[in-house]
Amino acid sequence: MHNDHDIALTGVQSEILTWLSPLEPHLRHHDIRTNRVEGVGEWLLGTEEFRSWNNGDGQAESQKATMFCSGNLGVGKTYIR
Amino acid sequence: MSESEEAQHWISALTSYNFSSLVVDTLCDEAGEAGEDIAVACFYFDSTVQKEHSAAAVLGALLKQVVGSFEQIPEEITDAFRRHKKLIGGRELQLPGIVKMLGSLSSTRRTFLCLDALDECAVTDRAKVLLSLKKIIKMSRTTRVFITGRPYVASEVGKHFSEGIALVSISARTVDIIQYIYAKIAEDANSGEMDERLEEEIMKKIPEIFSDM
Repeated sequence: MHNDHDIALTGVQSEILTWLSPLEPHLRHHDIRTNRVEGVGEWLLGTEEFRSWNNGDGQAESQKATMFCSGNLGVGKTYIR
Repeated sequence: MSESEEAQHWISALTSYNFSSLVVDTLCDEAGEAGEDIAVACFYFDSTVQKEHSAAAVLGALLKQVVGSFEQIPEEITDAFRRHKKLIGGRELQLPGIVKMLGSLSSTRRTFLCLDALDECAVTDRAKVLLSLKKIIKMSRTTRVFITGRPYVASEVGKHFSEGIALVSISARTVDIIQYIYAKIAEDANSGEMDERLEEEIMKKIPEIFSDM
């Protein structure tokens, strides 16, 4: 049924991805990461909250699937634009 | 600049971007090292282009990244694409369809959906985004959602994920600010604009400025 898959896969692939969304958030991510200040925020990765959110196998009922980090940050976003 | 303006300037540069992008890269690195196939999708809200960031656009952008994590585009996506193409004008994907596909795909591998600066999303879309994420989590136990935002959206987020949400405050900590300033000083040192005495003085002053914040 999907034999025509193999024909010009890359063209179809990119057509499908564009259909899913014309936005390119991964490009934005690359821009942002190049401006990231090393060391800042690393403490977050060591918190119990982050570790358990990240490492959970998703089976336990008590597992927290969502992590919300609140802060009055970001007023200077234009610096990185 | 006065001392407090200078302090404000430094805090401003410590954006939620820094945290979100750090989390995204950490997740990708860890999976890479472990040789695990995971999906990491991110979205950075931006109030200046709020209209372009409707709930469907946001979830669509996440779906696109999740699909991109598969070596081959999953069949249910190509099937949906074909069905839609047959319709007159090739109708755009609607939110319910996007949510269904996201929930289904994210059940097949560990999936991380990271949203930066949720407060910059329009109120009505914000509610739709949160509801969609809730549905996806319900469909998929292997999904993890990471959100940053100003404290005033915390209650909205809490309402949607009342059963399980980890809350952390990421307000700029002194340690972050000092690290940031070290990085800046290192830049200046390279350009030869700062001497050692000035550097020492700044490093001594910083904790004093921030001690009452």
